Amino acid sequence: MTGPGTIPFFAPDLFEEDREVLLDLVRRTGTAGEQKFILGERTAAFERALSETLGGAEVVACSSGTSALTLILTAMGVGPGDEVVVPAYGCAPLGNTVANLGATPVFADIDPVTMVVDPAEVEAAITARTKALLPAHMFSVMADMPRMREIARPHGVRLVEDSAVAQGGVLDGRPAGTWGEAGLFSFVQVKTFGTAGEGGAVVTEDAELARIVRALRNHGQEGQRFVHQRVGCNSRFDEVQAAFQLHRLPGFPARLERRARIADYYTERFTPLGERGVVPPPPGRNGRCHYVYSLLADERDALKEHLAAHGVSSHVYYPAPLPHQPAFARFAPPGRQWPHALAASRRQLAIPINPHLTDAQVEHIADTVCAFAAGRG
Amino acid sequence: MPPRESVSHTTTDSATDPAAVLSAGPAPGRPVPFFTQAASFEEAWPDIRARVSEVIDDGKYSHGRQVGRLETALAEWTGARHCVAVNSGTDALVLLLRACGLQPGQEVVVPAFSFIATASSVVLAGGRPAFADIDPVTYALDPRSAADAVTERTAMLMPVHLFCQMADMGALAQVARRHGLTLVEDSAEAIGMRWDGVHAGLLGAGGVLSFFPTKTLGAIGDAGAILTDDARIAETAAALRHHGRTGRTLAHFPGISNATELNGVNSKMDDLQAAVLLAKLPRLAHAVRRRAELAAAYTERLRGIPGLLRLPTLVPRDVATDAVFYVYLIEAERRDALVDHLAAHGVGTETYYPVPLHLQPCFSELGHKRGEFPNAEAACERTVALPFHPDLTTADIDTVCDLIRRFYTGRAA
Repeated sequence: MTGPGTIPFFAPDLFEEDREVLLDLVRRTGTAGEQKFILGERTAAFERALSETLGGAEVVACSSGTSALTLILTAMGVGPGDEVVVPAYGCAPLGNTVANLGATPVFADIDPVTMVVDPAEVEAAITARTKALLPAHMFSVMADMPRMREIARPHGVRLVEDSAVAQGGVLDGRPAGTWGEAGLFSFVQVKTFGTAGEGGAVVTEDAELARIVRALRNHGQEGQRFVHQRVGCNSRFDEVQAAFQLHRLPGFPARLERRARIADYYTERFTPLGERGVVPPPPGRNGRCHYVYSLLADERDALKEHLAAHGVSSHVYYPAPLPHQPAFARFAPPGRQWPHALAASRRQLAIPINPHLTDAQVEHIADTVCAFAAGRG
Repeated sequence: MPPRESVSHTTTDSATDPAAVLSAGPAPGRPVPFFTQAASFEEAWPDIRARVSEVIDDGKYSHGRQVGRLETALAEWTGARHCVAVNSGTDALVLLLRACGLQPGQEVVVPAFSFIATASSVVLAGGRPAFADIDPVTYALDPRSAADAVTERTAMLMPVHLFCQMADMGALAQVARRHGLTLVEDSAEAIGMRWDGVHAGLLGAGGVLSFFPTKTLGAIGDAGAILTDDARIAETAAALRHHGRTGRTLAHFPGISNATELNGVNSKMDDLQAAVLLAKLPRLAHAVRRRAELAAAYTERLRGIPGLLRLPTLVPRDVATDAVFYVYLIEAERRDALVDHLAAHGVGTETYYPVPLHLQPCFSELGHKRGEFPNAEAACERTVALPFHPDLTTADIDTVCDLIRRFYTGRAA
């Protein structure tokens, strides 16, 4: 059953409440006397506002989370001959950003339950050519950043935190994005602090790295216009998006809390289902980000169909481990296997968690998952 | 603002420069910004509002339905078989070069006078720029110098169409053919320009459009597109902009989980920008005609002023060509002093471009020296772009031209 009663996975009414605000911002931006549309005062104000939520870390707004990752790796000098250790399970930019700089992504297997990269696998993947570690927070769970720091330091490798999905998450009192030498956020609409378009940000406490990233995002210009100190790119931030994000920032904590409460409820309902082949993420709030609520189900496709039949849309994020995909085949050593990544790609299923869900919808979704598991006991 | 570096051998010392004395006097007219489209935007607002409302209705804010419609509309407007919308003109160049098969270490011949993206896109796509000089009248790649720049590593030739007219595409196509090079066009500025009826960007493997706000068709943020008649190039570029994912992704959320076939990037266009561009597109033909009138008004008022070394000159070709005035660019003696004079009277200008590409600090490793590309270097010392935008009036042009005349002659017209 799909139709008007279906609970969508990707909410189409994200900014419905902000309709008039957004229209007004577009009009005011288009007709403003200053006619400054990119990297203007509102972008600077947005960067400052985010910085305040991150204990004063530098924030450099750019065109996307993917681009933020490229800017960080470029600023760190990652290039041909270098290796970067990345999770074998996750989003394509983990491999693409490294490969596009001429470096080699080295894939490390994940934890079978939390689906974040396994620290032991990361450490085992380090070689003399390793330039950086790139753990990623995944769905609702932050990677084990304290361990990543412990691993990176003695090996003398850089630590980049792919916190694209984790804005608002806090681990041991420290915000996501500030555990690595540099972190990043994505503002694509589906993220916890999504905007009405593409956008991202680099986060770092390293002022020199921030300076280089600022130059790189705007064609390598530092100071005088049209003089280019380094080969940069165009990865800038639009003023209309900055204004919209400034408008949305005060409501962000409440939206995050709504997500967290839905997750708490789901986990409470689903924890008993483990022996019936449906495994929720672990309970708790520490080190959690609630971007996506992902189950692991032995009979994933049957669960997806069952949900659909009861008016609930769900989504399979990564149908194959990164090294199994054509774009990364040349980085997959013959015979190497990533069994936990493979298992996750066969069992993972995400259910709706966006903050617009009503309590009744959330209960219906939970009931439907429980009913499926009951039928499998 | 820090003081502008003096590039030419001029002085602004008040004892010797009559302009400095004039600068102290009251401005003769109202300020003229280098760029604004505020009034035009307001005029188009009902259409823009309707389009942006559709984006909110759809609930997909990048790579959505308006972006798809813009691709279709631009393909129709330009005559391209395929249009691939991306995040910027620079990204469009990088993805075009990659989709055309540029391999690491291969060279692309580009002009030494252009915006940085002409050369940085080659580096970002894994290649090396090989610089050549420009024609002094069109400011575009000189075919003879381009041929001289070809080596056994050269794979592509990328002319740029700057300001108001296209490069000599007849002669450049011959150079490409003779040396077996792929011809791609940096047509970022060239919407509406045509060569023998063919839109800029479609004379070789493909080209690009930039919708940077000051462009002839401008967004209110960054946006760009690739134009090509080649289905395979379009398909590759379309995958590359969405992380290398094949299959349906446009206006289709679940496409984020499609298999990754290529090492792509995220260069999706915002639907808000597509909405603005779609609302402006029906006005583009009129805007192009209006720009021609404004350019003619400038030329009429500036002709004969001593100190002006060159006004825009459309070069006749042996095929029909369509020019589009994106920028009104002049060459001037004591250029930097003129810029200061105009600024002191509230007139904005832009110096396209103060440093030639071969002398940019980021390309110092290539080992080029001053004197290698004299036309490009001369252009950097003499050119200045005057206010030119959708809201410009002939009264504005009177103001600007009077100030220029006073600068060089010490008196008004």
